[in-house]
Amino acid sequence: ASEEAFKPDSVTPALSGGMGHNSPNLLWEACGSNSLFSLLLPSPHFSPCVRAQMGDRKVDQNGPMRVLVTGGTGLVGRAIEHVVKEEGGAREGEEWIFLSSKDANLMDMGETRAVFQKHQPTHIIHLAAMVGGLFKNMRANLDFWRNNIYINDNVLQAAHEVDAVRVVSCLSTCIFPDKTTYPIDETMIHNGPPHESNYGYAYAKRMIDVHNRAYHQKHGRCYTAVIPTNVFGPHDNFNIEDGHVLPGLIHKAYIAQKEGSPLVVWGSGTPRRQFIYSLDLAHLFLWVLREYHEVDPIILSVGEEDEVSIKEAAEAVVEALGFKGQVTYDTTKSDGQFKKTASNAKLLQHHPNFTFTPFKQALKQTCDWFVANYDNARK
Amino acid sequence: MMDSQTKAEPMRVLVTGGSGLVGKAIEHVVKQEGGCLEGEQWTFLSSKEANLVDLQQTRAVFEKYRPTHVIHLAAKVGGLYLHMKENLHFLRDNLRINDNVLQTSHERGVTKVVSCLSSCIFPDKTTYPIDESMIHNGPPHDSNFGYSHAKRMIDIQNRGYFAQHGRHYTAVIPTNVYGPYDNFNFENGHVLSALMHKTYAAKKEGTPLQVWGSGTPRRQFIYSLDVARLFLWVLREYDEIDPIILSVGEEEELPIKDAVEMIADALDFKGQIVFDTSKSDGQMKKTASNAKLRRYLPDFTFTPLSEGIKKTCDWFVNNYDIART
Repeated sequence: ASEEAFKPDSVTPALSGGMGHNSPNLLWEACGSNSLFSLLLPSPHFSPCVRAQMGDRKVDQNGPMRVLVTGGTGLVGRAIEHVVKEEGGAREGEEWIFLSSKDANLMDMGETRAVFQKHQPTHIIHLAAMVGGLFKNMRANLDFWRNNIYINDNVLQAAHEVDAVRVVSCLSTCIFPDKTTYPIDETMIHNGPPHESNYGYAYAKRMIDVHNRAYHQKHGRCYTAVIPTNVFGPHDNFNIEDGHVLPGLIHKAYIAQKEGSPLVVWGSGTPRRQFIYSLDLAHLFLWVLREYHEVDPIILSVGEEDEVSIKEAAEAVVEALGFKGQVTYDTTKSDGQFKKTASNAKLLQHHPNFTFTPFKQALKQTCDWFVANYDNARK
Repeated sequence: MMDSQTKAEPMRVLVTGGSGLVGKAIEHVVKQEGGCLEGEQWTFLSSKEANLVDLQQTRAVFEKYRPTHVIHLAAKVGGLYLHMKENLHFLRDNLRINDNVLQTSHERGVTKVVSCLSSCIFPDKTTYPIDESMIHNGPPHDSNFGYSHAKRMIDIQNRGYFAQHGRHYTAVIPTNVYGPYDNFNFENGHVLSALMHKTYAAKKEGTPLQVWGSGTPRRQFIYSLDVARLFLWVLREYDEIDPIILSVGEEEELPIKDAVEMIADALDFKGQIVFDTSKSDGQMKKTASNAKLRRYLPDFTFTPLSEGIKKTCDWFVNNYDIART
């Protein structure tokens, strides 16, 4: 029952047959003289990656990938695992390892190196982070900054040391400048301070992009990052205090329904968000890992026209759970950022045929999963 | 929140990077200009004693000296050309040094930490003059993005330590510092010190003085002893978490070319001066406002640039053998 939620009614066409049958290492492109090419590059961090450094590799150029997924048991990690194991996302001979914090504390350099040495990955999907919803961030900006800086620096350096070809890290649209024009796009990440509520997390995540550019400049590494908007789905953290907005609402509505009490939504309900289903994000992560060759990051999101208010999201949760009680808005609680509208133009340019799961359908699947897995869900 | 210092106790000040350009200047003010108050203990750390990139070594040196206050100057630093090659190294090492020092200070209840930023970390695309509120308003200049991002994070950490733990950790933002005990290396030193060394060498060898770049970029230069005196004032009297720029006024900004002429004067160099325009100029300007400093200290007098350059050149000539070249 727990896997039912992941069975999409519509298969995303681009991944069902469009990946090609070449060597899985589509990233290896011959371009003649590697060193001459890099001399010609005017501005290293805007250039696409060509040949990555070979170094002292354990896997030859045409060998299969060994992919390490940090944060593998989280919201996005579980979705990637599903796509890899249940939807043919993995190719012949590939190895996929899903790490959890039990396997290694990535805030510790020694443990990080050890787990990388153990698995010798050629590719890394780096999802591990200290994360939380609005209220948790507001309480602990310092901790969010410190812990995430350590995790990210350790992972990128350990990846470099084992000569990993690619690292795809995970940023978030909540790290963008607060005072900005809309829609925000990938070029705007560092254009001003982030929202005050989560500046610690935001600066730490932004630093991944700085690291990626520096590794490319110094070592020719093609380490990059994706920038999802608000992700939701099964296996999320449904804790009401610390979780993100949708799982928080789902959990609250579930309890309100059980206890016959009103659903109290924190904030005014007016802030707007673009929500992306974890399964869609997982498909896109695999595409980025295999096909996206830039060091500059890429936003992974539904379009601007699909932005909804928290109120609309709450109503969709109510519908999905069949909640019949009263819905109230506690305006004494913070709203967080009013909007973070992101452009997915770059994604559509690279990947024009990608189809997102419709919001209400994805939400229903998530609610069904939560109800069926209430006892084991993280809350 | 535990403090390492009781009200009656005099300060025990640890100066990280104590043997560098600014550290030596602070040491001079403390020991030769009465900068040290009765009963105070001042320790000037160098990297020989502890590698602050390493947490254990940082903890050990804090355990040894038990500071109540920290002036945090230690960093991986360099001039334009070194930065352009080593952004990754500057990013990673400075992030570690700063976190080790700030976190260890917090764990030990250090009352106050004054860290050192730089005007080179400000946004590249900006209006002028830049001021303290603008640090994070856009990406830094590309030439030293690694160093800049790492240094900016000191300000973020200061805010975090205050919000979560009530710590009064702050930072100063000097413009281009120069003086005795600088790094005078041609390739890795900052502009004035590298130029002094080059002029000295050109005079000795009877060759032209080769200045890298066009000579047109503009800078505000501040003499290390002035920075040191101001550091002591910040340590004792400046209570904000937000940083403060330490600089001469905007009207003192001048092109590299003018500074080259002052150096030639100071060293009595009579040879030809050539500008190698194939070399990078770095940022054209980074004009910083010292209005905040002036509000607090309207009467502070800066050492005139030609005088500071003369003193530094004299020091360099007299100490050539021990100078970092």
